[in-house]
Amino acid sequence: MAVKRTAPSPPTPRPNPNPNRRAPVSGADAASPSKRMLAFHFIRALARIHRSTPVPRRTRTIRRAAYSSMARAANPRRVWSRALLQQMRARRARTRRAAVLRRRVSAAPATPPGGARSITGEDQESTTLAALARTTAAAVPHRQAGEPARADALRRLVPGGNEMEYSNLLEETADYVRCLRAQVQLMQGLVDLFSGR
Amino acid sequence: MSSRRSRGGVSEEEINELISRLQTLLPSARRRGASQASTTKLLKETCSYIKSLHREVDDLSDRLSDLMASMDQNSPGAEIIRSLLR
Repeated sequence: MAVKRTAPSPPTPRPNPNPNRRAPVSGADAASPSKRMLAFHFIRALARIHRSTPVPRRTRTIRRAAYSSMARAANPRRVWSRALLQQMRARRARTRRAAVLRRRVSAAPATPPGGARSITGEDQESTTLAALARTTAAAVPHRQAGEPARADALRRLVPGGNEMEYSNLLEETADYVRCLRAQVQLMQGLVDLFSGR
Repeated sequence: MSSRRSRGGVSEEEINELISRLQTLLPSARRRGASQASTTKLLKETCSYIKSLHREVDDLSDRLSDLMASMDQNSPGAEIIRSLLR
């Protein structure tokens, strides 16, 4: 399959080359994520989904592709992008195990045939999410005495937030919000494009 | 990772700087003239902003999935999609 190239040779192919993450004044640190890389990863994922994902599962798969391509296009030194990719990998591993178990269970005569497909699909999604919630809830909720109580809720929303120090959490949140916004803009742009506008 | 337990490594000013940078990302940054919002309010707003972005991703995924399904029919939009995803 020919990979779609968005540009022949961009001047700075790597997003965020700035090594000084702690310096609050550096301009490059506040650079928006590379929109090219975002588009590249996401559109490639969409092509794969269109080829091989059955229609009923597409919404879920597209949503997961949005978060993975966001994490892949982001600076790999960001805690949130690494945490997100780890979560995706763990979920895929669990899904594979659950799928194997499901096949064994459905082979047994006790389970009712048919109609179990979509239900077990939802079940394994919810058990995976519940398991993920359990693992993140088990991590230390409060790192520092000086941080406000609201930081707790923020830690739950930002991937890998539980393990961060407060100042780092603020930095990571800013980057996560920027990337989320860019991803939403990309998807909105694609929707507009595909709607024939 | 728990090497910096006291505030010795990160000053109060740095924290405030990070919070004000976070504030510029929020949608209310354009409307609000004064930057005097309390930390709690800002964090709360950040949380709800992130949640609304998550919801938008969900909604857009749904719409993309619908549009993908309509790709196989003949329309000008379908042509564009097909050429893009080749």
